[in-house]
Amino acid sequence: MTRQISILSGKGGAGKTSVTASIIKMMDSVVAVDADVNASNLPILLPYTQQSTTAYFGMDIAQVDHDQCTGCGACLTACQFDAISQNEEGRILIDSDCEGCAACAFVCPENAINMVKRKGGDWYVSSMDNGYLIHADLIPGEDNSGKLITKIRSEASAIAKEKDIAYIVIDGPPGTSCQAISSITGVDLVLAVVEESLSGLSDYRRLAELIQKFSIPHFVLLNKAGFSPEVENKIILSADEFGGKVIGRIPFDHNIPQALQSLKSLADMDKYKDTIAELLKQIT
Amino acid sequence: MIISVVSGKGGAGKTTLAASIAQVFEAEFYDLDVDAPNAEYFLKPDFSSKVQITQPVPVFSEELCDGCGICTKECRFHALYRILKTVYLSEPLCHGCGLCKMVCPQQAISYQNSSVGDIRSGYSQRTKNMVHVGDLMIGSTRGTYLISEMVKKIDPVKLSVIDGPPGNSCAAVAAIKPADLVILVVEPTPFGFHDMQQTEQIVQQMGKRYLIVANKAMSDASVKEYFANKPKQAALTISLDDRYHKANLQGEILSQQFAEIHRGLHQIISPELIKS
Repeated sequence: MTRQISILSGKGGAGKTSVTASIIKMMDSVVAVDADVNASNLPILLPYTQQSTTAYFGMDIAQVDHDQCTGCGACLTACQFDAISQNEEGRILIDSDCEGCAACAFVCPENAINMVKRKGGDWYVSSMDNGYLIHADLIPGEDNSGKLITKIRSEASAIAKEKDIAYIVIDGPPGTSCQAISSITGVDLVLAVVEESLSGLSDYRRLAELIQKFSIPHFVLLNKAGFSPEVENKIILSADEFGGKVIGRIPFDHNIPQALQSLKSLADMDKYKDTIAELLKQIT
Repeated sequence: MIISVVSGKGGAGKTTLAASIAQVFEAEFYDLDVDAPNAEYFLKPDFSSKVQITQPVPVFSEELCDGCGICTKECRFHALYRILKTVYLSEPLCHGCGLCKMVCPQQAISYQNSSVGDIRSGYSQRTKNMVHVGDLMIGSTRGTYLISEMVKKIDPVKLSVIDGPPGNSCAAVAAIKPADLVILVVEPTPFGFHDMQQTEQIVQQMGKRYLIVANKAMSDASVKEYFANKPKQAALTISLDDRYHKANLQGEILSQQFAEIHRGLHQIISPELIKS
């Protein structure tokens, strides 16, 4: 059975990707997934060779056939998203707010509205020395649907099964919305990277509440620690409250962002190699 | 005039800067990072109201619904499902589009308002103005909807600051859309620069006026290097400084504590206020 580990934080910039890349680099064999599809950074830190590119299509969206359209305006009333307008010449226009519900197509008496595919981005399968990397590029401004995350995760599962790889490690998106959920469902363990700050604490609590809903065990890695024992203590207490366990602590250290400038992860730093190795032992 | 603060990458310092800008110009504040709102830790508003934001969702009449299942097939968001002859709604997936009601042959569907989150509002002594915080229900897919509802409440005549969500998806677009001026916060790191360039692309496509602020810079030289081939340079660089980090941790607003940040923001943004 493949074990799936998702790395999340609630707050952006807590250090998810740096930690994920560090862990992945120290694993013997792994399928890595970058689920932060609209700000994909994991590939920046991992050496990989791209093997395939597949187009991703999000929700179908409405398109007007102007030869059929009489400009009656029935669609204008049906649309709940203010995505349809009519210009001075009576021409019906559909803008980027279209959520793809198809209500306009249903009410159109002339059948002049079709639901058409729209490319939302691409996703890629790549090989690494110790396994595979699956990541995606969403076209900027696209609906960041969980659909793409679900797609690349199922691809990761298929590869892990086929190649008999024991672990899938997922670099999750920030926040606690549907994208985070798409990165949590069905995983065996969540590692929450929590920044020692008031924002980090607050966002971790929202995330922990979400993790608890799915009855998934979770561990906590304290990051950028050392400035506020008070906040650190609150994070530890919060972890207790939500059934998490603090399993590691990385201090606030200018050397870490400095190393990142030259694309070095914690696994490449003598000072933190052991911390990451210990972390890996705990989560695998 | 509306100023939106966005970044692409999370943790670049959106909230830190948005709070500082609001403090410098005593602007009204909107926290639109609705699934991880944090500005209140810096602005410390005295919350005085909480308004529920709702969207219409379908309700099924037990008497009229014969369980034909047409609505479950037509719903493009997969928000409806049927077990035996009963139709159920998975509310977090519902967009409130009304299609199920339209297609139901039994007229068994009506719409009722249901909560997607709250807007809490209160006065901040620190910015001498109102602060509005969007709280999305945890796990909801309706973040963009909540953002749009909050944007509708902004009075464009007043000076307002929007703290946007991270990323480059439609939620970020919704927070950029109303802006007269966009502040792009970039952490000069490989991640930060990568994500900011995508946001910049959106901002340019939308034809917005914008300024770049480099935050948590290791050195001026490193910032220069990142911007070497860019036509648009950083208008202001804020260094990675333990003093700033510490003040942040204590929930302080940087512009209130550090004259150089107050001055820097004032210098780059004031001319833009005069322009509009």
